Amino acid sequence: MGAQSVLAELLWAEKYRPRSLQEMVNQEDVVRRLQVFVKEKNMPHLLFAGPPGTGKTTAAHALAHDLYGEDYRMYMLELNASDERGIDVIRTKVKEFARSKLPVGVPFKIVLLDEADNMTADAQQALRRLMEMYVDVTRFILIANYPSKIIEPIQSRCAVFRFTTLKKEDVVSRLKWICSREKVSCDDKGLEAIFDVSGGDMRRAINILQAAAALGEVNTSNVYKVVGLATPTEIRALLKTALFEGDFTKARDILRKLMITYGLSGVDVVKQLHREIFSSEFTVPEEVRVEIADYLGEIQFRLVEGADDEIQLSALLAKLVLLGRNLRQTTTQPSKPSKR
Amino acid sequence: MSVERKLPWVVKYRPRKIDDVVNQEEAKKLFMAWIDSWLRGRPEKKAALIYGPPGSGKTSLVEAVALEKGLELVEMNASDYRRSTDIERIAKTTSRVGSLLNVKKKIILLDEVDGISATADKGALDSILDLIEKTQHPVVLVANDPWDPKLRDLREVCLMIEFKRLTKTEVKKVLRDICAKEKLTCEEEAVDFIAERAEGDLRSAINDLEAVGEGFGKVTSALAKSLLRARDRELNAFDVVRRILIAKYAWQAREVSNQTDLAPDELILWIHENIPNQAQDPEDLWRAYESLSKADIYLSRIIKTGSWDLLVYAADMMTAGVALSIRNPQYKFKWVKYSFPERIKLLSKTREVRQIREDLAKLLVSHLKCSTSLIKYDVIPFLKIIFDNNPEYAARLALGLNLSDSMIKYLSDKNGDKIVALVEKLRQESRKPVPVQRGGPQEEKQQKKTTGEEKKRNEKSSKGLEGFFKK
Repeated sequence: MGAQSVLAELLWAEKYRPRSLQEMVNQEDVVRRLQVFVKEKNMPHLLFAGPPGTGKTTAAHALAHDLYGEDYRMYMLELNASDERGIDVIRTKVKEFARSKLPVGVPFKIVLLDEADNMTADAQQALRRLMEMYVDVTRFILIANYPSKIIEPIQSRCAVFRFTTLKKEDVVSRLKWICSREKVSCDDKGLEAIFDVSGGDMRRAINILQAAAALGEVNTSNVYKVVGLATPTEIRALLKTALFEGDFTKARDILRKLMITYGLSGVDVVKQLHREIFSSEFTVPEEVRVEIADYLGEIQFRLVEGADDEIQLSALLAKLVLLGRNLRQTTTQPSKPSKR
Repeated sequence: MSVERKLPWVVKYRPRKIDDVVNQEEAKKLFMAWIDSWLRGRPEKKAALIYGPPGSGKTSLVEAVALEKGLELVEMNASDYRRSTDIERIAKTTSRVGSLLNVKKKIILLDEVDGISATADKGALDSILDLIEKTQHPVVLVANDPWDPKLRDLREVCLMIEFKRLTKTEVKKVLRDICAKEKLTCEEEAVDFIAERAEGDLRSAINDLEAVGEGFGKVTSALAKSLLRARDRELNAFDVVRRILIAKYAWQAREVSNQTDLAPDELILWIHENIPNQAQDPEDLWRAYESLSKADIYLSRIIKTGSWDLLVYAADMMTAGVALSIRNPQYKFKWVKYSFPERIKLLSKTREVRQIREDLAKLLVSHLKCSTSLIKYDVIPFLKIIFDNNPEYAARLALGLNLSDSMIKYLSDKNGDKIVALVEKLRQESRKPVPVQRGGPQEEKQQKKTTGEEKKRNEKSSKGLEGFFKK
């Protein structure tokens, strides 16, 4: 695992993040157009859209790096819409940033706003005004998973770049390259398994790779072990307790543990449950999987609307308890162990 | 309260001795042990927070203890400490270090602390905390609802002593005793009626008894019923929830929401906590939660849009909607024990670990450039695997990411201490000159980083590698 003399380690997702545009192995069309901006030292506002882990944030940083050099962070304001408390905070920060000095040779600074699609329509309107107000000294790069959630007036003010899901061979070859740099032994099956479980999300793939490597070597069994461990056992316990044991109060305690101890948000829990209900270890009739998925969607919708995490997820647990009861009543053959 | 010609009965029959305080044996034992620890010297906690329903004897116990133990009682009411200066004044006059021997110990009693408004009486809570920190005398706080979020900090420095709601039998017994002492003839049915209405509040029961008995010299149920109109009292949270959950008609459930000072967003937590206690049938549970879920959605829309018009619908769904969802008669009217919202308790208990996790997430954000929520569910779990399974490697990561000791322990219960020790060893090694093997400049920067400045870690830490991996 790396040369012995190097005492400190970093997360590989950071360590092997391409620093400049020419290092980026994917999204060739996007990269080519961004390199033109660097050459001309001019660009419009940009909107990077695409699934997670496809290089949107990396491209934004690489672009800034190529424009301003090593110390590019002086000229880039990084904001994350889901971490900033409201548009007012963003407004203040942008205002302050706009006043700081300009870089040499480039007539603008960059405001990078990640997860812009998490902003409400109202906040986006305010953002639009900000983009206009400071256009003489700043350019915005907005990053979104779902570009349709960005309001029209903003979309029309931005050059939109679509990032596509990474191809399997690209992910696998990148992982293999990292393994060789880190002197970690790996086999192709293991790397392919990583691609399968990460769904083309490069950051997640690299995180899994690093954790699997920490277990010894990157093979299929370690990869699945990591993925299994990374899913809190409470998620499975949640399903089991509500659906099979029908114990609502206990399930709700587990839910609280997940949210308070692990710090998962309601949406996180819904997403993790969704990952879980289609796994083969979760033994229920197929139509029940679909029914749960449908309800998960409903709950996530309510959460996105701004409802309370714990109350909405408790409603989900109540639904699971009911589903479980009906399941026990209808199934005549005792094929799986379930308490009465 | 009222104009006093002679002593009102609630004062006249106030407990003089500790034994006179009805029931509450557990609370008495706890409180006495705490006072004794004060008298012997240093107590574990300098303040006690006595809480429980109105009229259950909280203040009475403190007074009785003061009387019996010969302590001076310095009392303050919510109306007295609207300003922090008032509290500071009290603190000064009472808590001065007794330089003379045999200075009489005092009890400082702050009544109705939940009556302090967090906004209007800004500073009052801080002054109380300050008073507790500096006091040379036992400080007793009294509250009906100690789980109010604004009392969070106070809860942490106080010994919590719970008073139980008195049962009807206990209330009736006291009423009969007073009747005997006042030489009143009283009908059993009337006493029963008064006790029923009091709902465990002994003070209001005695007031009612006095209202009926004083003028007429006898207590009959006809008199009681005609004189005592339903008092539009505020119900405590437990009663509110109970009345909602067992309501038979929509109006019954809706009515309750006017009889509480719980804000809608608090009320919904109380109902949420207690639904499963009453709705044990899965169908009922599911229906009840669908209603509660809708109420919650209305609340979120109110917050989002500011349309307070929607509040009535939120209230309807959380009261009547939930009540009428519970249909299985087997559970509907079953008497069950209700609980405080666990969430409020949990949040204060887990504050420290949540703070560590937030700090860790923020630190990792500066490395990985994604949102804290993504870090929490997509990065920290993998780090935990590494920290649980490969302590040597974990130590080097901890060094590279500049994790604090508490973060390391957060990431691995199992190996936490071991990794902390390893990191320390690595730090010392890195202070010695290390033979350069690979990428000279990187090595140099690496070293500078690790020897050092804990504070400025975030921005700078990746610089060395950035340079190295640039082609």
